[in-house]
Amino acid sequence: MASLTLSPAEHDYILRGVESGFRADGRGSLDRREVTLRTGMISQANGSARCRIGNLGVGTDVLVGIKAEVNSWTPGDNVPETSGTIVCNVECSPSAAQEFEGRGAEELNIELTQLLDRIFNGPQSGIDFEKLCIIPKQAYWVLHVDALVLDVKGGIIDALVWATRAALMSTKLPRVVVESIPDEDGVMQAEFDVVDDPEDMTELAGAENMPVAVTFSQIGRRFVVDASEQEEAVAQARMTIAVSPKMEICAVQKGGVLRGFSPALLAEIMQTSLKIAREELDKFNKHYAEAKNMTDGRADEPSTGSTFLVPF
Amino acid sequence: MSANIIDRRRINGPQRSVEPIYPKQPTSTSSAGRPDGRAQNAVRPIFVKTGPLSPQASSAACPSGSAYYEQGKIRISCAIYGPRQGRKSNARMGAFDCDFKYAPFSCSWKRSHMRTSDEKEIALMLEQAISPAIRLEAYPKASIDAFVTVIESDGKAATISAAINCISAALVDAGIELYDSVAACSVALSGSQWIYDCTQEEEDKAECSLMMARMPSADEVTYLLQHGKTSPAQTEQAIQASAGVCTQVYAVICHYLQASLEQ
Repeated sequence: MASLTLSPAEHDYILRGVESGFRADGRGSLDRREVTLRTGMISQANGSARCRIGNLGVGTDVLVGIKAEVNSWTPGDNVPETSGTIVCNVECSPSAAQEFEGRGAEELNIELTQLLDRIFNGPQSGIDFEKLCIIPKQAYWVLHVDALVLDVKGGIIDALVWATRAALMSTKLPRVVVESIPDEDGVMQAEFDVVDDPEDMTELAGAENMPVAVTFSQIGRRFVVDASEQEEAVAQARMTIAVSPKMEICAVQKGGVLRGFSPALLAEIMQTSLKIAREELDKFNKHYAEAKNMTDGRADEPSTGSTFLVPF
Repeated sequence: MSANIIDRRRINGPQRSVEPIYPKQPTSTSSAGRPDGRAQNAVRPIFVKTGPLSPQASSAACPSGSAYYEQGKIRISCAIYGPRQGRKSNARMGAFDCDFKYAPFSCSWKRSHMRTSDEKEIALMLEQAISPAIRLEAYPKASIDAFVTVIESDGKAATISAAINCISAALVDAGIELYDSVAACSVALSGSQWIYDCTQEEEDKAECSLMMARMPSADEVTYLLQHGKTSPAQTEQAIQASAGVCTQVYAVICHYLQASLEQ
C-alpha cells in the first residue's frame, strides 16, 4: 500500500500498543472508523457509490461507477453460455499519493482489481448472473465496475468493497425486449431491443446476497481491523475475508510480504471475521438506506457538481 | 491480438488458434472415482531437478540457481538471479521480485506472449508467499529475482502451488539464506468433499478452490487464497487438510534437494 516512513519509536509504540490492546486513535482492535456512504451521484452511470472511511478530510476515499454494456458472445470468451459477467477495474489516482503517479500504482491496481474480481465476479457473489444473459450464446450484459481511489489513508480494500457493494445494489439496468423473428431461411432468430426509457429500469437480481469484506492486519502477535495509515506501515501481513449475509466465506486472500500467519492466529481470524461480518452488514444496510433516502430526496433537483461535493 | 496488427519480430502462427481434436479418452469406469484414477487425497507425483540452468563453466550471465519441477502434467522452470544490485541503494532489507509467465502453448487456449494482468497478479502472489521465508535482512541493498516460466499448466491453483514449490527448490540451489522452504498445495471442493491437487478438468467442475503455502518447520502459513463460496466449517476443514499435504510436499522436495547434493 502507500507507504509512510515511521521513526523506530513510532513503530515500537504502535506495535506494543496493539499487542496490549491499545490503538493510537483510541479504537478497540476490532473497531472500524466512521464510514460515509453516498450513492447515485453520477447520472451517466448505471450505478455509482462513494465511500469514505475516516473523518472528513483525512480518510480513505473510493468512488465506484458502474456502466452496463451489451456484449456479443464468442466461444473463447470465458463467460458461460447463459450468463452475464462483471469486469472490475481499480485505478489509484495520483491525487491519493505521490508514488501513484505514472506507472507507480500499477502493481497495486492489479492486486486490487483481481481481489474485487475474486469477490464479485462469479457465483460466490450471490448475484444472479443468469438474469444478466439476454439471449443465450448470443448477447449478454457486461457490468463494468470502475473504481477510482481518491485518497488512501489505510483500509483501502474495505472501502473498495463497501463502495462496490453499494454501487451494485443501486445499479439500474434498462429493460430488454427479446423477440423471435424468422430470417430469410425461415429459421427463428432471437433479436433483442433495449428499451430507452429512463423510468423503465430493473435492479440487479440477487444484489443483497453480495458479501462484505473484513481486512485483518497482523501487527506483532495480534491483529487489528481497519488499519490506519500508520498501523499499515507497521503491519507485517494482512488477511482479507469476504463473508456473505448467509455467513458463508466467499473469498480469503492473504497480502503482505513480511510475514506469514501462525495456525492459531489464522483460526482466531476466521472466527472473528464471522462475528464482525454480522455487525458490518447491519452497519452497511443502515448507511445504504440513508444514502438511498438522500438520493431519492434529491431526484427533483438538477444534478450539478455541488450535489456531488456537499454531502461530504 | 487484433487481426490487423502483424508482429514482424516473430514468426507468426495462425491468427486464430483452435484446440486440436483429441481421440476420445476412456473415462473411468466408476463415476465416483477421479478421472485419472487417483484417490480423493492423493497428490500427483512430483519430480524436481535443481541446477539445469546453473553455470557449468563460469559465466557471469548465468542464473545463480534454477529448478525444473513436474507434478503430473504441470511443468515449470524457475531461474534465480541474485543477490544482485537492487533498485533502492539505501534499503536496509533486500527485495524479492518475482516474474511469472505462462508459455503461449501451456494452457488449453493460446495465451498472449505479452504479460497479462492475470500473470502479474500471480507474480505478486508468489512474492507474498515466498518473501517471509527469505532472510532479506542479510541482503541489504540487494535484490533477488525469480523468473518462473510455466511450460505446461494443468489447473490454475495447482500450477500456482507448483510454482511456489519450484521457486523454493531454486532458492535452495542458489544458496540464498532461508528460514525454511515454502511448500504449497491446493484443494478444491466438489460436492461436499475436498479433493486434493485438482487437474484443470476437476477444477472446472469444482465450486471452490483453496490454495495454501506453508513453512512446515516454522509452522507459519505464508499464503492463503480461497476462490468460491463455502461454509466456515468447510474452510476450516480445507485449511487443516492443506496443512497436512504441504508437509508431505515439503518432505518430497527436501528428498530431491538432498539427492542433488549427493551428486
